[in-house]
Amino acid sequence: MSLLNSFTRIRLIAGTTFLEAVRQKFFNSLLIISIALVASSTFFQQFDFGTGELKFITDFGFGALFFFGSILSITATTQLFFNEIENRTALTMLAKPVYKLEFLAGKFLGAHLLMLSFSLVITLVLSGILYWREAALLARLGEDVLLDGPLVRYGDVFVFGFLQWIKFGILAAITLFVASFSNTNLYTIIVSFFVLIICQLQYIARDAYSGMEAGLERFLVMGLGLIFPNFQLFNIGDQLVFDVEQALPLTTVLRLAVYGLIYTCAFILLAQVNFRRREI
Amino acid sequence: MSVLQHPLIVRLSRVLTILLILLLLGLLTRPIEAPAWKVVKAGQPEMNLEAIEGALGQGLVVGVLGGFRAILADFLWIRTNTIWERRDRVKLDAMVRLVTTLDPRPDFFWINGSRMIAYDVPNWRIREEGGYDAVPKVRQQAIDYDQAQQAFDLLDEALEFYPDKAKLYLEKGQIYLNRLKDDARAAEWFLAASQQADAPYYAARIYAELLRKQGLDTEAYSYLKDLHRELPNVPYAQKGIILERIRELENALKIPFWQRFQPAVEPMLEEPRGAPAFDAPEPHDHAGHAH
Amino acid sequence: MNTPAIRIKNLTKDFSVGMRGVKLRAVDDLCLEVGDNEIFGLLGPNGSGKSTTIKIILGLLEASTGTCEIYGKPSKQVDARRSVGFLPEAPYFYRYLTGRELVRYYARMCMVPRAKIDAAVNSVVELVGMTEAADRRVGTYSKGMLQRIGLAQSLVHDPQLVMLDEPTAGVDPLGSAAIADIVRELKRRGKTVLLSSHLLAQIEGLCDRVAILHRGKLVREGRVDDLVEEKDAESLVVEGLSAEGRAAVEATIQAQGGILARIEKPRLSLDAYFLKEVHQRESEHAAQQVKTGSQKS
Repeated sequence: MSLLNSFTRIRLIAGTTFLEAVRQKFFNSLLIISIALVASSTFFQQFDFGTGELKFITDFGFGALFFFGSILSITATTQLFFNEIENRTALTMLAKPVYKLEFLAGKFLGAHLLMLSFSLVITLVLSGILYWREAALLARLGEDVLLDGPLVRYGDVFVFGFLQWIKFGILAAITLFVASFSNTNLYTIIVSFFVLIICQLQYIARDAYSGMEAGLERFLVMGLGLIFPNFQLFNIGDQLVFDVEQALPLTTVLRLAVYGLIYTCAFILLAQVNFRRREI
Repeated sequence: MSVLQHPLIVRLSRVLTILLILLLLGLLTRPIEAPAWKVVKAGQPEMNLEAIEGALGQGLVVGVLGGFRAILADFLWIRTNTIWERRDRVKLDAMVRLVTTLDPRPDFFWINGSRMIAYDVPNWRIREEGGYDAVPKVRQQAIDYDQAQQAFDLLDEALEFYPDKAKLYLEKGQIYLNRLKDDARAAEWFLAASQQADAPYYAARIYAELLRKQGLDTEAYSYLKDLHRELPNVPYAQKGIILERIRELENALKIPFWQRFQPAVEPMLEEPRGAPAFDAPEPHDHAGHAH
Repeated sequence: MNTPAIRIKNLTKDFSVGMRGVKLRAVDDLCLEVGDNEIFGLLGPNGSGKSTTIKIILGLLEASTGTCEIYGKPSKQVDARRSVGFLPEAPYFYRYLTGRELVRYYARMCMVPRAKIDAAVNSVVELVGMTEAADRRVGTYSKGMLQRIGLAQSLVHDPQLVMLDEPTAGVDPLGSAAIADIVRELKRRGKTVLLSSHLLAQIEGLCDRVAILHRGKLVREGRVDDLVEEKDAESLVVEGLSAEGRAAVEATIQAQGGILARIEKPRLSLDAYFLKEVHQRESEHAAQQVKTGSQKS
């Protein structure tokens, strides 16, 4: 019963966090910019790339999702967290029989729901544009281009959207962790962006240490490869949508989802350790 | 206050604890991460970082390494197109090299790059030297061979990444056939293309056709008979056309009636899903531009 | 109930400042008890430790040393907060919710059973006098209305102890008076109220007992009357006395061994005067409205 109550409270906090977030001008501006960017990929039709145009549109759409999604994930989580602290909504909330972990989990879920809507909107817009351009290309080039298999695997667009969303989850949890010990909005955003870049490039260290000689340097590189989650794992846009032969196996998708979930939970728990000591 | 309670020590110990937890987490998640990374990494061929860094600068290299490799290559390809429109052949060559070095995964870059080099640049060079009427045929041919060789180098590089990709073999065959008018060499590459798993059915038919063009009717006849036997009974295999060619060759070679090819009677099968079965030469949209 | 609503024993809270760990003592060895069904005022200038003490009582901060209990339960336990309602200073609420939705939201956070939520929400909204404005969005509320809806959210789960941090800060005298009335009503209903304020005039007539903090230390504590009464003096308020009569009274006082310390004109507090005037005009206006209404019909 108490666990059920806990879920109810988390759900309630997540709900208001989400509603508060979608009302933010920042979210709406970023969403509009992203949609505009994805939509502007129709500009590629002027180059007459043939079916290659679809690859360009997809790269553009995935790039927009990855880039703006990362920005939104960090800034929205930071803003939602600090707004509650600065406006004392957190004080009102935590003066109730609410655990701090419930509060953090609710904040996270609210931000994660926001990212779900963002990812969904972008993938839907991208799929719509791909569908439209695919139909136009088929009309122009004839059905023969389909003989090599379908031009676009739309399911993959959503697989990419889903995996990006999972990655945004880790990123939001990392941001929450940074926010739990930082005093300002700006500090949290800057540190989280640094961590994002490290996680994005971590794979270089991860792959390099095995070829290094034993010693302090190898130890440090190995540590770097282990401490930060590997975000490059989610950079699978190039293996989706078009390449039929090397389609991403379902087991890999599941592994990535589980990996993301573990890191998300871990960073929320670490955030809780700091948040417990924090003055509200 | 003991030294251990000093805020600096307390903070340091907290940071170390968190790092330790993350380290353990990294080790614990390895069994999930490693197999997934193996799959993901297989789709991300190594880059010649030095070449890219020289051309792009360090800032963009971080972007490339961080996950913007494909999109940056796309932008550079658009730039390649602008250069192509300006007919700047020196820059064009460098840009095609850069794009394919940056992102060798899409065959689009290799194929369209090689088409620009093999089909368009010779036209420009001949025009630079006075036009088709003024430049002697020998010189025109030399230019064609020079450019074709550059395109072949590019395609050979692509074949190092994708040794099984029929499209690349076909592209070389097309250059021999269409630009260099070398039926014998073209035939070699169409044959090689037809031997790849993802080969279109027409590769083998063109090979046989090229044998005929070279006067090798007996070889073509024998090849087509084998081909007819091996091909599945699906519409895209166009076995009817092959049989037609066989009959033509039988007439040309005056094969006695009783020795003529007897195709096995088989029911027509449904086209297997996802099978490499396209059966029409791809439109020659050399980088998508009209010539 | 014999258990005190709040029991604080030797409570000290230090904050570390900077990397060198300089300690800043916000609360210094505080001992305090707030009895059940009492209106208790926590007074002190800014930075005296009032807010820190309240946060420790609410379990939002951990004490460096000492203990704090709410109805016998350690205040750091989340469970202890089931019997606590809290209104922070200058509260902010989700502006897109209506007053009623906001109170309902907090009712659900406090796990008020679904069947009882509507009744609980209506009851507290009525108690704070917000029934008419309850379906308006919080974003349209005035400061006083925000405080009242804030009060409603703190009461919706029927807590035994209500803590109000600077409840009248920034609120006009009418709003302050309304809040004071609600506090008195809460006491009448058997609740315990702890309020912190530096607006002493408003607290004076409201609190049963007060504690004065200064630099984290308890300076004084006791019943308001006991603290502010001049023990050795009494005042007589006289009307219609002539000059001769006044001379006779002075002579009598002297004859009885008393000393006439000072003669003053009795004054209403400005608060009371303001409220009297406004209320008088409000009732005149209401009567006028009724009259106009009946003439029209």
